[in-house]
Amino acid sequence: MSDVQRLPSGYLSNSQEEPALSGNGEKLALIVDKNGRASVQLRDVSSGRVIPLNNLSRHQPHSSPSLSWNGRYLALIVQRGNKREVIIDDRQTGKIFQVRISGGRTPLRLSLAPDATQLAMQLADKGQWRIELFDLSQNLEPDQPSGIRSASQVTSLD
Amino acid sequence: MDFILFRYTINLLWIFLLLGGCATNINVRPLYQLNDIISQSSSSYREPSLGNEWLVRLTRNNGREKVQLVDLRSKRVVPLPGINRFDAQPISVSVNANGTILAVIHQRDDKTELIVYRRNIGSIQRILLEPRGIPRRVSIDGAGRVLAVQVSRDGKWDLDLIRL
Repeated sequence: MSDVQRLPSGYLSNSQEEPALSGNGEKLALIVDKNGRASVQLRDVSSGRVIPLNNLSRHQPHSSPSLSWNGRYLALIVQRGNKREVIIDDRQTGKIFQVRISGGRTPLRLSLAPDATQLAMQLADKGQWRIELFDLSQNLEPDQPSGIRSASQVTSLD
Repeated sequence: MDFILFRYTINLLWIFLLLGGCATNINVRPLYQLNDIISQSSSSYREPSLGNEWLVRLTRNNGREKVQLVDLRSKRVVPLPGINRFDAQPISVSVNANGTILAVIHQRDDKTELIVYRRNIGSIQRILLEPRGIPRRVSIDGAGRVLAVQVSRDGKWDLDLIRL
């Protein structure tokens, strides 16, 4: 296939799972084995540099990372006690949002829309797998490609 | 007295941070109507991937699993001719931002393949992994130009980055 170009990925260490590219293709979130614990890691695709995620050093195992267009938002499933919870890290403000899931259902997979206006969750619900969509437009400022500005405001629920 | 009050307040703040962490709870609104329209209770759904106003997922119905693309604006399932072969079992799927390009991993004839499907021209491009490996999970960027692929190779999980 002449039009397939391999990118250098030698910088990546052993055991990399669940890759998730940002919408602009410049950042990559993945799950790595860190001292025996599945932990999320964010990397710059072109340089391979690890981008620190200061707010996400706890509540392993982490799973199903998902990034918005510029990588401003990182959605992730974390473990808190015996519960799996969904969080969204706003890397621009340093805020972490916890998404409440009603009905005792368990999140299994996530996907954040590139503009961060919607979140799709695969949930285990009474022995069945379902996918539900959630509206984030009232909670998060959209993460658009550079040059596109949004008139909407962030709604703080603090 | 002011100093004691100050220390007391600081201590309370620390206790609050330690107990509660720094997470802010948000009540995100499920899109009830949309969820009801695009899902059937008799089917099972997994592996969601969102574009802007596009959702791709794996749907199991009557024991058979297939790739399904939903246009969230029209709330309709979009036909994907040629992608859901009767002899293929999809494993992972990802869609670009405007829903025109899908990356799919499926198993067919005891082989696990990575393909890229371009909806506007109906083409399927098979991506060969070099060195050889078994793809397990794929992510495509918003423009549909880069793939990140989790690959089983020599008994460990590798990650391949492929520019299309």
